[in-house]
Amino acid sequence: MAAFKDELDPISGRKVLVENNLTFAQVTDAVAAPIEAPSARWWAFFLVSVSMLGVLVVSLGWLFWEGVGIWGLNNPVAWGWAIVNFVFWVGIGHAGTLISAVLFLFRQKWRTSINRASEAMTIFAVICALLFPTVHAGRPWVLYWTLPLPNQMGMWPNFRSPLLWDVFAVSTYFTVSLLFWYVGLIPDLATMRDRAKSTVRRVAYGAFALGWRGSTRHWLHYEKAYLILAGIATPLVLSVHTIVSFDFAVSQLPGWHTTIFPPYFVAGAIFSGFGMVLTLLVPLRKWFRLEALITIKHLENMAKIILVTGMMVGYAYGMEFFIAWYSGNPYEQYAFANRAFGDYWWAYWTMVSCNVISPQLFWFKAVRRSPLALFIISIFVNIGMWFERFVITVTSLHHDFLPSSWDYYSPTIWDVSTLIGSFGLFFTLFCLFVRFLPVIALAEVKSVMPIADPHYGDHGDGHHHE
Amino acid sequence: MGSHGAIEPSKDQIWLKEGSLWRKLPLIGGVLGLAGLAGAFSQMGADKQHFWYSYLTALAVFLCFALGGLFFTIIQHVTRAGWSIVVRRLAENAMITLPVLCVLALPVVFMGSHELYEWTHAEVVANDPMLSAKKGYLDEGFWTIRMIAYFVIWSFLAIRFYSLSTSQDDAAPDAAISKAHSMRWLSAPAVLLFALSMTFFAFDAMMSLDPHWFSTMFGVYYFVGIAVSAHAFLALVSALLRRSGYLNGVVTAEHDHDLGKMMFGFTVFYSYIAFSQYFLIWYANIPEETRWFAYRIEGDFLYLTALLAIGRFPLPFFYLLPRAIKRSSGALILMASWILIMEVIDMFWVVQPVLAHHHAKESGAAMAIHVGAVDFLCLLGVGGIFLAAFGWALGRKAMIPVKDPRIAESLAHENF
Amino acid sequence: MSKPKHKKIFGLMAEYDTAKAIFKACEKVRDAGYEKWDSYTPFPVHNLDKAMGLKPSILGVIVFCCGMTGAASAMLLQWWTSTVDYPVIIAAKPYFSYQAFIPVTFELGILLSAFGAVFGMLGLNKLPQWYHSLFNSERFSRVTDDRFFICIETNDPKFDFERTRKLLEGTGAVHIEEIED
Repeated sequence: MAAFKDELDPISGRKVLVENNLTFAQVTDAVAAPIEAPSARWWAFFLVSVSMLGVLVVSLGWLFWEGVGIWGLNNPVAWGWAIVNFVFWVGIGHAGTLISAVLFLFRQKWRTSINRASEAMTIFAVICALLFPTVHAGRPWVLYWTLPLPNQMGMWPNFRSPLLWDVFAVSTYFTVSLLFWYVGLIPDLATMRDRAKSTVRRVAYGAFALGWRGSTRHWLHYEKAYLILAGIATPLVLSVHTIVSFDFAVSQLPGWHTTIFPPYFVAGAIFSGFGMVLTLLVPLRKWFRLEALITIKHLENMAKIILVTGMMVGYAYGMEFFIAWYSGNPYEQYAFANRAFGDYWWAYWTMVSCNVISPQLFWFKAVRRSPLALFIISIFVNIGMWFERFVITVTSLHHDFLPSSWDYYSPTIWDVSTLIGSFGLFFTLFCLFVRFLPVIALAEVKSVMPIADPHYGDHGDGHHHE
Repeated sequence: MGSHGAIEPSKDQIWLKEGSLWRKLPLIGGVLGLAGLAGAFSQMGADKQHFWYSYLTALAVFLCFALGGLFFTIIQHVTRAGWSIVVRRLAENAMITLPVLCVLALPVVFMGSHELYEWTHAEVVANDPMLSAKKGYLDEGFWTIRMIAYFVIWSFLAIRFYSLSTSQDDAAPDAAISKAHSMRWLSAPAVLLFALSMTFFAFDAMMSLDPHWFSTMFGVYYFVGIAVSAHAFLALVSALLRRSGYLNGVVTAEHDHDLGKMMFGFTVFYSYIAFSQYFLIWYANIPEETRWFAYRIEGDFLYLTALLAIGRFPLPFFYLLPRAIKRSSGALILMASWILIMEVIDMFWVVQPVLAHHHAKESGAAMAIHVGAVDFLCLLGVGGIFLAAFGWALGRKAMIPVKDPRIAESLAHENF
Repeated sequence: MSKPKHKKIFGLMAEYDTAKAIFKACEKVRDAGYEKWDSYTPFPVHNLDKAMGLKPSILGVIVFCCGMTGAASAMLLQWWTSTVDYPVIIAAKPYFSYQAFIPVTFELGILLSAFGAVFGMLGLNKLPQWYHSLFNSERFSRVTDDRFFICIETNDPKFDFERTRKLLEGTGAVHIEEIED
């Protein structure tokens, strides 16, 4: 235990959130400095990401030209990698909203140094997600038909379809996440405006800062808006992945139609999202020298959340299996036996080992506190979650009710290139974010430091405990 | 915020006074409980099945409240929460009723199972391929062992957390901190045990009443009822204690606000879970699954379903939305009581339709709700014993964990 | 006004270097009865709005109305398109499948609530407001970094160059400045 002795906050007795007794000015400098002096390392990452983005552009270009046949879809597996990737990216986005909104409602002050980057991650993940339903339609140029706009055909969208609910859910999610992120950015954009050395920067930051001047009358409405947005975003994040799960669960297909899908998908989304947050922040905090703000305790808390949500996912796996047996329904029972021992057994066991087994390492404090271990396990988490969506989608489709319909599904090179390209889009956007915007919510971090309390020092040392 | 030179609550705020009505709760509860049980048992002759269904309903309700105390306790430890410590002892007192309630549940296991569960009848199973397929699980011997296992797990967890917390009251500061650490350390595996035991209890005791039906969400459904009832119970009890002159300045509007937020949040979560379970089954429209809900919108049960739909979501949702309401203990007393009553109705709604279906099939009439004296007597009986055990625990020790390392943080708690 | 100025003065600004100092200063200014004034901080200081005597925000009401409007509109849209204008039998579900209409209803309620929160907040704050007299001050640029400010406007009825300055000097300010309009 002595090896993990944490610095304690003198007022609350809890682990201090900002280490090294930084002043407000030092916090500002620590976060703003990397923006003002980009490094060669940034260029390296940016160029790699842009090349991957190029792969995406080529893949989509070829897709629009030739049609969806370039992918590996067949009958009966008419939903392949496109929907797997869609659910994968939307799921990743959920962690950002959880950190911003849910942890805020639970007064978890440690969220303040990670929420900006994770909210950005959410927006970029949702952009990547929205890509797939857009391009996988046979005629993406008429995708606006999904919107309830009066038209010359006299038709309206089918509001009884989960695919349409997705349109509303994911676009609402994107809009609200963007608004929430932007509202949080306003005070920090003002900080960047006030520090800007060049006119271009001053005007650019200043335009988006809306003239923010830190007025307490403004902070009053601002904090209320933030609280309300957090309160709204919480049911939103639950509803979005629930509606995504409805895509599968409202069907009659064994392996898809099961009532626990909504919370199971949400737990899995948070699980994968936190994995991605760790993948991004473990290197980021090192390269931008932000270890005093994104402390090892922050990383440990995220590891615990990964452990909890991983166990929830494991619980859902268990329930599905048990009830499939309990139901006595031979189709249900076959669906699950097929997952574990059929043609895609390798995908299934990858999923189980990455999602259920690897997070168990987080029971050990030494693992939770090792940035390298956290990084490696976070990669496994995301591999596992991609495979989970793959297993759900493909195994239920490829062997459904009628054996004469069965067929094996393989991705083509274009399926793979589109997935890789989507990572290119994600990392390109993230590189741009890191280059131009403060990756830590400055105003929020300052507000949770002990010296931010107007009554700091009034009551002496207080209790020292943990 | 923060722990300053400790606010020490005075003894008369955190200990029940001699001669107070609260101190008589074990006696009152015990008398009502025994009278209720005796009355209910005496009704057994008239309609044995009805008795057992009512008894199971009452057990499901009060186990829900007791498990709520357990859930609240272990969750506060796992999340290292600071705000809730002043109400945690009340949850622990609810939790320690578990061993007693488990004893009360034994008659269901050893005497009532044949009246309740059609899969316990060998000839029914033999003629039914679906039930025969489940014989490995829905087997009386295995079922009995499982039920005992749940009771053992719950009693063990309840007793362990209760004794660690109450012994902490009299411990030296270092020992107190180490007990707090033990409770935190134990809480993570406890959550796992709780989740699994509660899920399978729900399957075994309630879902198997209709053994052809199944839902992977069912365990979660029982859980949400537990979660929302836990916070409602704490809001109600702490408000009533304050009106009796206890816990003033200890449990404040700040804590009410948080309990209110939790009641609100779990109400939304309940609606989400209940709706999801219903909606997916409605949408796919597979008869094997829809039968369960079909029973509950037939005849009289339609009104009960409508009552639940309104009483478990829009009513608590809009009521608990304003900040001022959540901070008023009087307002919370009303809604907390309502939520607890809704839990009773919910358990009735889950358990009773199978019985009503049997009666309807026999008489050829529509599904009717048969509420008789036995229902109230069972609730009185089990409820009385629950209150007696709760009252015993309440009077035994201080009403807050006085030596918890974070008690000062909890006492000084300030909300948004 | 005891000393007429050549340039129009917006107000008197005081600078502080700790959250504690500005908290106490705000209480003093509030108790002195000023109305046209404000404090400026790099982050929201706990309870500073109460120290200033500000009324709670009405944003919640705005958001609630927007949310209810969104949800009602969504239900109305779905009802009308599915039962009146373009009724199509889908999977034997009733035209008015209110169960199936809940997801979109919920989402649109959330979307409009969010608009209400964001645009309501900007409206109540009268933002964007890219020009403000305080930006004329060099020192004021530290408001988004690590300094706290109070500014009492000259058109406050109680404003007086000498008395107001004395009040501010007594609050522990590290610097006091006149802000041009």
